[in-house]
Amino acid sequence: MAELLRANVIAHFAYYRRSRLLIAFLLVFLLLTGLSSLPALFMNSGVQTFNSLQQIFSVLNTFLLFFSGGLGLFIMSSHLRGRNLKMVFTKPCSPALWLASAFLAAVAVSLLLNCIVLVSAVILSLSWHLPVRAGLLFISVDTFVASVGIIAYLMLLTTLTHPAIAVTIALIFNAELFYGGYGWTQAVIRSGNSSWGLRLLDRFFHYLYYILPIVYAFERKTEKIYTSLRVLHGEWKYLIYSLGYVVVLVVFCYCLALLALQRRKHI
Amino acid sequence: MIVAENVHVRFRRGILRKQIHALNGLSLEVRERDFFALVGQNGAGKSTAMYCFLGLMKPTSGKVQVMGRTPDLGSPLYGGVAYLPEEPHYHLYLTVEEATRYYAALYGKRISDKTINDTLERLGLARFKSLRLAKCSKGMKQKVGIAQCLIHETRLLFLDEPTRGLDPLVIREFREWLQAIHQRGATIVMNSHVLSEIEMLANRVAIIERGKVVVQDELKNLLTLDRGQYSVAYEGDGAAQPEYLGAVERQGALVKGTIPKERLYDFMEFARGSRLLMHECSLKKTSLEESFFKIVKGSETPAPAALLAGQNGDQSAQEAAKTEAEVNLEE
Repeated sequence: MAELLRANVIAHFAYYRRSRLLIAFLLVFLLLTGLSSLPALFMNSGVQTFNSLQQIFSVLNTFLLFFSGGLGLFIMSSHLRGRNLKMVFTKPCSPALWLASAFLAAVAVSLLLNCIVLVSAVILSLSWHLPVRAGLLFISVDTFVASVGIIAYLMLLTTLTHPAIAVTIALIFNAELFYGGYGWTQAVIRSGNSSWGLRLLDRFFHYLYYILPIVYAFERKTEKIYTSLRVLHGEWKYLIYSLGYVVVLVVFCYCLALLALQRRKHI
Repeated sequence: MIVAENVHVRFRRGILRKQIHALNGLSLEVRERDFFALVGQNGAGKSTAMYCFLGLMKPTSGKVQVMGRTPDLGSPLYGGVAYLPEEPHYHLYLTVEEATRYYAALYGKRISDKTINDTLERLGLARFKSLRLAKCSKGMKQKVGIAQCLIHETRLLFLDEPTRGLDPLVIREFREWLQAIHQRGATIVMNSHVLSEIEMLANRVAIIERGKVVVQDELKNLLTLDRGQYSVAYEGDGAAQPEYLGAVERQGALVKGTIPKERLYDFMEFARGSRLLMHECSLKKTSLEESFFKIVKGSETPAPAALLAGQNGDQSAQEAAKTEAEVNLEE
């Protein structure tokens, strides 16, 4: 079992190392981030450099979320479209194990990138003579936890449908959109319009908001940390809550993806 | 070893969700230590049958059992099974060595570097071990597939068109390995369109037609002697050809053909009189190809005019063959 998992994870790492698309995506984004941080090098005021640090860190973390989604998406689509899983499943290596190995490899790469971003932010803080704030660690862990959820969600979507459709669903039909829709129907209902169609739409948006995964499950509770980079004593618990939410999401996505993988014809 | 009983496979394809009946009540039995060949036309259901044996496809109805168990994806059953697919759908981002090591490791056993290197050396892949599969030729990819079949001691080997894209030298070596593996006690199930290859290797054959086994028998029973005809081959210095000599084939001075049983003594007189140098005179053997055509098409193999034309360099025969092919296509 351990030997099988190891062999699969090593193969997945080779895939990530050699995926030109992922490497190009990484390089372009790093270049853009580097260019956007250039002006900060010429700033003298502490507030300006802090703002630059906060902005660079935020951009890098947003990129990490997208990139992590790409890690999940590419590994699934590449193997399913390459039809090479028949070489794996005709050996004593179950789809459950292969899927777990693909997920673990994606999570490991995401963790590595998160660590690199955190270390870069700490180095920037030190070189710009800014205090190293706990918020950097909090945001890094929070982003990593969110990335794990995104990886699992995109792996599931790619197992179920074409990668382009998977990306569309993840980007457009997400919980945030339906939360906005829910807010709108609530406002209209409160203003006096309570037709059955509107109430139906309200319920529809409400349930979809609950069903679809949320990137940052406790965003409204932790948004101050993202701007101030300070963490109050009682705010660390939100990391545990986020982790709990993501574990449930991962288990749900894993089980569904496994079911879809087992039902697919790998020929 | 493998039992399939009344297996039906139906699936839908395309935008119009057209239903395809890939297997239509297929039943067969592969016994332990068999070298079993699945023969049939394109689309007959050979590969689908193999996918069912490997658990890659679930039958819509019917029963498939491999080594007493129902095959399923990644089952522990496959610990002693190796599979060589028809199309080289391998992990193209891995190098030749990495892919061989990875496929070997999927059996859950540690494989020494020496075993990997020896296998690559045997297949002539050692020079290319750092080359990514995406950059390899089809033949090289096929060799990687063969390497992963040979690296473990397998009890059951599934080969889907194994010699496709291989050079003649490797085909010969591959045949020898297969014979060696078979002699060691492995059961081999092979799909192939190369009937001469099957004649050389298999001991049992199933002919599949429209998703159903139409004949399943020992190969020797399909390669029967035709007691009504003799095959003859002789060299004669411009000697006249007897009119009863059929299916004539000329290779330089050598003349090959068939004669009816009742004209054997006439032919012997003719041979003596013309002082022919006899190469062969024996009861005609029915080849697997002829048996296959008889069973599938309900008739004997038509004299392959194009082949004769190619051998004789006869332009008119080539044209005749072309016309015959065109007529067949129109029909």
